[in-house]
Amino acid sequence: MNQILEQISICIQKGKVDSKMAYPPEMKGMPGADELTKAALDEGFSANDILSGALIHGMGIVGDLFREKRLFVPQVLMSAMAMKAAMVHLKPFFSSGELKQKGTFIIGTVAGDLHDIGKNLTAMMIEGAGWRVIDLGTDVKTERFLEVLNENGNAVVGLSALLTTTMEQMERSVKAIREHFPENRIVVGGAPVNSEFAKRIGASLYAPNPQVAVEYINSI
Amino acid sequence: MTPRERVNIAMSLSKPDKVPLMCQFSIGAMMQQLKPSPALFWYDGRVFADGLVALCERFGFDGILVSLHGHGDRWREGLMEIKDIDEGKQELIYGNRREIHSWSDLPMVKFNSANISREISSVDVEREIPSHIDYIPVSQDLRFHLHKSNMFGIFSYLRGIVGGKYSIHGEITSPFDYFLDFMGYENALVSLIIDPQKCKDILERFTKGICLLASDMCDEDIDAVKISSPFAGMGFISPEHYEEFVLPYESRIIEAIKDKGKRVYIHTCGHIGDRLELMQKSGASGLECLDPEPVGNVDLKDAFNRIGDSMFIKGNIDSVNTLLYADENKARADVLKILETGKQGNGFILSTACSIAPMVCSDRILMLRELTDRFGLY
Repeated sequence: MNQILEQISICIQKGKVDSKMAYPPEMKGMPGADELTKAALDEGFSANDILSGALIHGMGIVGDLFREKRLFVPQVLMSAMAMKAAMVHLKPFFSSGELKQKGTFIIGTVAGDLHDIGKNLTAMMIEGAGWRVIDLGTDVKTERFLEVLNENGNAVVGLSALLTTTMEQMERSVKAIREHFPENRIVVGGAPVNSEFAKRIGASLYAPNPQVAVEYINSI
Repeated sequence: MTPRERVNIAMSLSKPDKVPLMCQFSIGAMMQQLKPSPALFWYDGRVFADGLVALCERFGFDGILVSLHGHGDRWREGLMEIKDIDEGKQELIYGNRREIHSWSDLPMVKFNSANISREISSVDVEREIPSHIDYIPVSQDLRFHLHKSNMFGIFSYLRGIVGGKYSIHGEITSPFDYFLDFMGYENALVSLIIDPQKCKDILERFTKGICLLASDMCDEDIDAVKISSPFAGMGFISPEHYEEFVLPYESRIIEAIKDKGKRVYIHTCGHIGDRLELMQKSGASGLECLDPEPVGNVDLKDAFNRIGDSMFIKGNIDSVNTLLYADENKARADVLKILETGKQGNGFILSTACSIAPMVCSDRILMLRELTDRFGLY
């Protein structure tokens, strides 16, 4: 990998947002994902090289380390901040059509459930993997999932639930999505959910952590 | 031997006549069993306390965990309307929020305007963090306000009903949870990295208030205090962050409780296998939860080997995969295995790891008593 792309990837992995950010201590005063991404564009690297060769690469490593419990939520959130700082510079290339996202991922916490940490982490990791994410928030009714699917025909849908009681709502939503959009992939996750439950309600995948969801949708 | 004696002997790392049984109910589980008015069950201390006693007696538990205290009438202030929207479902409408209370789970609160995420640098610790704790951060956007005039009245009310028969435990929330609730979860977790010293200042201030609360609670006729610390496990923070942002503060609360002659145990959900020894360093008398696979990663036998010489263990039945979803054979086998393993340890109380999930049926809870009576004898 080219040196500057590798540096950007390291910034993502370490959560180094910009030169002003004192974290991580061993990179204090050094340029972060923000400055390095701008510099890479100035040096003539294509937006696609930066996205796939540095940002997605870096977030992939973060996802693996999080899955292995060698990184924890605060560090992942810092990586997501670094990714966001870099993406600011790439945004115009998405608007112009030079950069294309891999697809659309619609995500939400099911109706009756207001918990969002797991959902937010998954959204960040999927965005970091090069997908467009439509985050519907928490307490999302089935009708809202269907409405947004209507507007984004090929999207993959992700449903999250933290409460055992809202698993029933997850089942209702998944069944309704299956009925109206039989071809679309559905990923489910959350503390009380498991693969047996996912299979029973007709979901395509149970993701015990965000990286499993990323690998699955990238393989579609 | 009374149920209370049974629990107390186990908490002192000895073996009573049989394994004590004492599970904590989720609010939803209590309501599924009792079918009360959901708003009154949440807000009225007597309705709540009567429910706790009824459930303890119905399922033959040896103790009662009082997860809410400090009930009062302030919830009626600003209340514009109560709507019965379905069987077992009520909506309370206030000027700034709506609350849905139902038999299925904790109340769900929706504020009219979304909370704005705070920058850690903008927090004025002295002004904004209360020196006296007047709420419990129950869940996302859900706080239970504590009424000074009736802070611990529920304990004397309960003793008035059950006398000395059952072990009664109070519950307080860890400073780390107050911090997460105050800052917003994601913001708080990022702040641990961005401004650790400010986080410690906030935690320090909360700790002082919680120490006072816990110490005053210990003047009541209770046997132990549970410290609820659900976000301190591997699912959220590293062992290093645990040591830096959780352990020092919980240790001080534990010391304050033990100074009053009461026992204290920590409840942390999910994966905690990498930090059992750190939790032991807190000086707590016991650990609760210890979720097994797949919800957590604790093996009960291993836990006893690692920390059982100085701590009692209260756990660790999987409420979802054993009580709620397993078939009868698997459920019984899971519980029997835990019972057998637990009996080998010094201090053991049979319990669900996390609270009993709302939709667990009565028969499954009654099964715990039956198995404990048959196979839990020492």
